[in-house]
Amino acid sequence: MTSTAASIGMECTPQVQAQYDDAKQQREAATLGMWIFLSTEILFFGVLFASYTVCRVLYPEGFAAASRRTDMWLGTAETAVLLVSSSLIALGVRSIQIDRRGWASALFAATASLGIAFLVMHGFEYHKEYSEHLVPGLDFDQTGPLSRAVELFFWMYYCITGFHSLHVAIGIVVISVLAVRIARGRFGALDCTAPDLAALYWHLVDIVWIFVYPLIYLAGRSA
Amino acid sequence: VSASRERLPQDSRPDPVRRYLRTLFALLALLAVTAIAALIPLGRWNTPIGLGISVGKALLVMGIFMHESEARALTRLASSLGFIWLSALMGLLLLDFATRVWVPRPW
Repeated sequence: MTSTAASIGMECTPQVQAQYDDAKQQREAATLGMWIFLSTEILFFGVLFASYTVCRVLYPEGFAAASRRTDMWLGTAETAVLLVSSSLIALGVRSIQIDRRGWASALFAATASLGIAFLVMHGFEYHKEYSEHLVPGLDFDQTGPLSRAVELFFWMYYCITGFHSLHVAIGIVVISVLAVRIARGRFGALDCTAPDLAALYWHLVDIVWIFVYPLIYLAGRSA
Repeated sequence: VSASRERLPQDSRPDPVRRYLRTLFALLALLAVTAIAALIPLGRWNTPIGLGISVGKALLVMGIFMHESEARALTRLASSLGFIWLSALMGLLLLDFATRVWVPRPW
């Protein structure tokens, strides 16, 4: 929507482009396009999960031993934080749909805050591993018959969690910008495509972590 | 708010808040089950159980938070494609490892 349109009070009226019959069809097309983008993201992380699977099948004992070196309870707390943030952004989109912009802005801001909390917790985790000399290529000092497999696990660990954290950081920026724009009166019941698509992205980031959690933090815990 | 609701067509009215809250509690409960199950010695079943619960959590997020349960067939197809191709990749990968025979070098 142009700033001119917004300035004359049309912020709740979606601009239906010529190729669409109505706003509903336009919104469905946007959702479809977003899902196609998200499918590429699934395959991006899928390659990392496939690499992890190959390495774990080859070195099961080493991966179990390495997984036990991660902080399971911090990983569990990080998962809980992302699950709560997903529910908050879903409620935020709902609030826009009923024109409660104040609530929507607050819920989007809360989602971004939980994203920041997730990254901070990850920072503590990385620091702990650095102090235990578990960072391959930088400071890795482990010995024993499983040390090479442990090193391989931590390469995978930093690769998967690093790329995931990058996605979380991008999501935080997008959601923060949207929170500000919603607070300024943008978006509404008939024009909530952008917040809706941002929420879809955030949920996918959450889903990726749902699978990272058992693979990285829980392998070999019962041994 | 009521005016906005009146403007909205029947199929675009938002879900009740309690639906989202129930989903969140279910997700947190499943998270607790995942963590506890990982600590119980179940041999080779620990990982499949953990991943199975993860699939359940992902379906809840997709169905309720991402509104896939109400989406058009085309959108559902698009949202499934990434997971379908990923399943093919992982399935064929594991099949390769399960059936590969290491042939000794002839020299």
